[in-house]
Amino acid sequence: MQASRPPSWRLKAPHDIETQGLVVSGFSSLPTGRALFLNFEGKATTGGAWLRALDAVAPVTDADGKEQRAAAIAFTHAGLCRMGLPGAALDSFSDPFREGMFQEDRLRRIGDRRKGEWLDTVIPGGPQWSANTKQREGIAGVAGSQSLTSTGHQEEEIATPITVHALLLLYEKGEDLADGWCEQVRAVLAPHQVSVVHSLPLELLPDAKGIAREHFGFADGISQPIPYDDQAVALSGGQPAPRDPWNGVPLGEILFGHMNGHHEIAPGPVVPDDPTARAAGLKPHPLAEGFLDLGLDGSYLVVRELRQDVVGFWEAMRANAAHIRARDPKGSAHVTPVWLAERAVGRNTAGHLLCPGGFLPPNAYDLPDNDFGFYDRDRFGFGCPVGSHVRRANPRDTLAPDPSQKQTLLDAANNHRILRRGRKFGRPASDPPAADGVDRGLLFMCLNTDIARQFEFVQQTWLFNPNFGTLYDETDPLIGPKGQMTIHEKPLRRRIDVQTFVKMAGGDYFFLPGLSAYRYLKSL
Amino acid sequence: LEVKPASSAVLAALIDRLHDRGNGPAKDGQEDYAWFMQGVPCVHFLSMSIFPAADYDPLFLVEANFDGPPGPFWGQVEAAFGEVLRDMLRCCKRPLDADGALFDAVTAPDSRAPVAPYMEARTQRPSVFHHGNRGMTRDRILAERDLFVAIRTELATANSGGESPYRSMLPRQIHAGLRAALLRDRPWLAERAPVRLPYLTRLADLARLAVFAVLLVLGLSLPGLLLAPVMATPRYLILLGLAILLALAALYALRDPLPGTDTGGKTNLLGVIFSLRTLVIGGLAILLYLLTTALVTLLASLATGVLLREAWPGAERVALLGLASLPFSVLAIIAWLRWLELQDSSQDQPPVDENMIRQMAQREDWIPQNHMGSIVPLKPGILRSLVVHLGHLGLGLVLKVLPDSGVRGYLGSMRTVHFAHWAFMNNGSRLLFFSNFDQSWESYLDDFIEKAHVGLTLAWGCGVGFPPTRFLIQDGASHGRKFKSWARHSMAISRFWYSAYPDLTVDQIERNNRIANGLRKPALAAKEAEAWLNDL
Repeated sequence: MQASRPPSWRLKAPHDIETQGLVVSGFSSLPTGRALFLNFEGKATTGGAWLRALDAVAPVTDADGKEQRAAAIAFTHAGLCRMGLPGAALDSFSDPFREGMFQEDRLRRIGDRRKGEWLDTVIPGGPQWSANTKQREGIAGVAGSQSLTSTGHQEEEIATPITVHALLLLYEKGEDLADGWCEQVRAVLAPHQVSVVHSLPLELLPDAKGIAREHFGFADGISQPIPYDDQAVALSGGQPAPRDPWNGVPLGEILFGHMNGHHEIAPGPVVPDDPTARAAGLKPHPLAEGFLDLGLDGSYLVVRELRQDVVGFWEAMRANAAHIRARDPKGSAHVTPVWLAERAVGRNTAGHLLCPGGFLPPNAYDLPDNDFGFYDRDRFGFGCPVGSHVRRANPRDTLAPDPSQKQTLLDAANNHRILRRGRKFGRPASDPPAADGVDRGLLFMCLNTDIARQFEFVQQTWLFNPNFGTLYDETDPLIGPKGQMTIHEKPLRRRIDVQTFVKMAGGDYFFLPGLSAYRYLKSL
Repeated sequence: LEVKPASSAVLAALIDRLHDRGNGPAKDGQEDYAWFMQGVPCVHFLSMSIFPAADYDPLFLVEANFDGPPGPFWGQVEAAFGEVLRDMLRCCKRPLDADGALFDAVTAPDSRAPVAPYMEARTQRPSVFHHGNRGMTRDRILAERDLFVAIRTELATANSGGESPYRSMLPRQIHAGLRAALLRDRPWLAERAPVRLPYLTRLADLARLAVFAVLLVLGLSLPGLLLAPVMATPRYLILLGLAILLALAALYALRDPLPGTDTGGKTNLLGVIFSLRTLVIGGLAILLYLLTTALVTLLASLATGVLLREAWPGAERVALLGLASLPFSVLAIIAWLRWLELQDSSQDQPPVDENMIRQMAQREDWIPQNHMGSIVPLKPGILRSLVVHLGHLGLGLVLKVLPDSGVRGYLGSMRTVHFAHWAFMNNGSRLLFFSNFDQSWESYLDDFIEKAHVGLTLAWGCGVGFPPTRFLIQDGASHGRKFKSWARHSMAISRFWYSAYPDLTVDQIERNNRIANGLRKPALAAKEAEAWLNDL
């Protein structure tokens, strides 16, 4: 008998009750969500009292099964500082997390800011929120020479109006339930001088097959890495989960404390050994004597609030289609706004991959097939353009110079996967889209254990790389800045103008603790 | 150039000021380097960095990749930079060798002696060199970029506003139409494409490798060559057989990875040695060696008057018995190396200076290309020294000869390196590496880890503190994060760095070249034209 849903992966005991549920599930059975961005105003050191209070109304959901409602929590470095985490623990996090997303060199790499100015891919006036991470010590001397130069550059202090110390995600069955729950949360946090400084209503609106569409109208969240680990991962039915040939990644790419793609235990944070930490359930760290493993079964959560210009997107597609029709009246009957939009995305609106002459047929579960490579099927991008969003976001074996290198390049690409847990916010645009002044977009969230090698790499080396796949002077058509995009066709490629359709309104890096670490933070 | 430690801060400031002169007050905009671009028309990439070290005084290194002879190049650099170059040299130590006099002349107060000859005299050629677009001069790269952009414009604007003439054409006609349109401003399109790698260059590459191979075979047969004259053949063969068995046994005993360091890589040294390619190359080398022996015997017999007929049997016996010991030498060396590997200390967490890292980050990722320079101390020991020096020489020669790397510019499956150098410093105790590459440092290193870890482990595995290796090429760089932090800690800040074509990747230069070469042809066949259009 054929199952109606494909088997999914889950964590084996004890990791299932040690890991936040958000890691294994996007909570698709709970269509309504709220993202509450918390700030510890008032006291210099808040400790964990507020978290204990919160735990009474919104305990963090673990990963052992379906829940009536669900909560997830994550902290910025600035937040952990304010909660009074010991210095040795704070310093044991990786550099990107310690510096925050809004460090000047980092912002340049991921395409947000250059030479002291926000780029077009950021909302006018600059982002609204971040962790406002304090700079680490300034640049002083160089090893081996006494002082720096007369023209030494002083690193910029980049601040946003709103400071976010923690992110609370709530998932419920309906709007009213969610609103009520939020009120409860606000009420218990207020006495601890923890306030909700920003919030977003998250929607899922999945169709009958469980597929949700983003605001431009395309099925989203289809391609995800599938973790494997002999000790810690199984299939939903309990069977062993072998490595998926196309999308398999070691569990350590997503959770600290497990083997990662670089053949080591994914390094996470530690805390000095003490009875409180032991009581919370933290285990001795395998490498650092005298420290407990704060990272085990936790992860980094990258969050970016992305606003989408739905009207502008379809307007641009219409203008391009009209232009192409005018320049090529005889050969362009197939070029419609939807046809162009599908090329920019790389899938059709239902989520099926574009292929030469059509699209990839659905898999055995009547869902978009995600088990494919590009090299054999569509090397030059006559179906799914090389510069399309899906191909840039996960090139699979695209970049292989010859057939013998396909597997190498696929393996290489899988060393940079991220597990996406984003949801859209804002009421859907009308059909056809019309300007309505509503802020809508995607609260992009992804999990990874090595921010530089995973999230930042995808952003810089694939999505925003002007030379990706031997293209020239173009970036991601969907989320990149204004520019052009090449669509290969025979005999001659077409080029379309794209605008900046997606703008970042805030973001930062968060630590998504495992449940022992969560209990430890509560005990601070 | 060795720096006077007390002057290194001043030198750093001088370089930074040069950097800022290029960049204007803001830190970007490669176009601002126009003065340098025009002043030094043959340069591809140029970098200046100071390498501080715990065990040595700082080194000031100028890395230059340019077309043509060095004399005029340094003259142009001096003219473009002006007196600052002299000021920089004043921060450096007087060399201990014969160049000292020249140094004095150049750095004397109020000296007007040209600096260029001194720079030329102090130039050290790299021991291994890799060029991504071999045979492409800077002018050609720039002209072909201009052509690429012009084609884009022509296709987008022909018959402006109205119907595009190209859309209703067959591939062959599109080619012809574009050629006609672009030829007007570019008479060079009518000329035949200059050959990028002349036949003679390729032949010379091959000849150098052949000489190296013959000498290597000679070196590896030394045990047999020495023993054969003093031992009877059967005894010698028995001894050899036992020795080979012993070496094999040692290898078998040492084969396992150190606990926790296995990365499951599929390529291993024995696999490489017994691959068809190596066996064919090895067979050719042995054949060459035998030919050389015959030739040497002939020459010797001519010189000494001994008849060839009498000399040959003896010479042949020695040569063959010598060759018979080659497997033993190879196996014994591998076993010895393996034994060393098992005792090696690897540095899991190299000390990194946060300020240095910050300053590197500040200068990185402004354009889609980046630069790195690193110096690592080499592992001690006679075998290691031999292997690293010979290995380097061999690797460099092989890279040039193999079509993938020598002609098409690939290292493994990656083609992101414009120019890379290796060179030995400080009497061969340290290894310098410079690279001008596409994309970010992170992605470049990840490329190495994921796509070229075998070659990289071979090239850098001799560095002190490198992650644990197995049989010279396994594991090593596959320990990705450890390798990255090891590489990062060996790097210096690239204080001044210039690229003549900051927007072009190696791939794009090749693409432009394919397009230009196609457009130089008066007409293309239908199939050819279709493939050509695919590049536009």
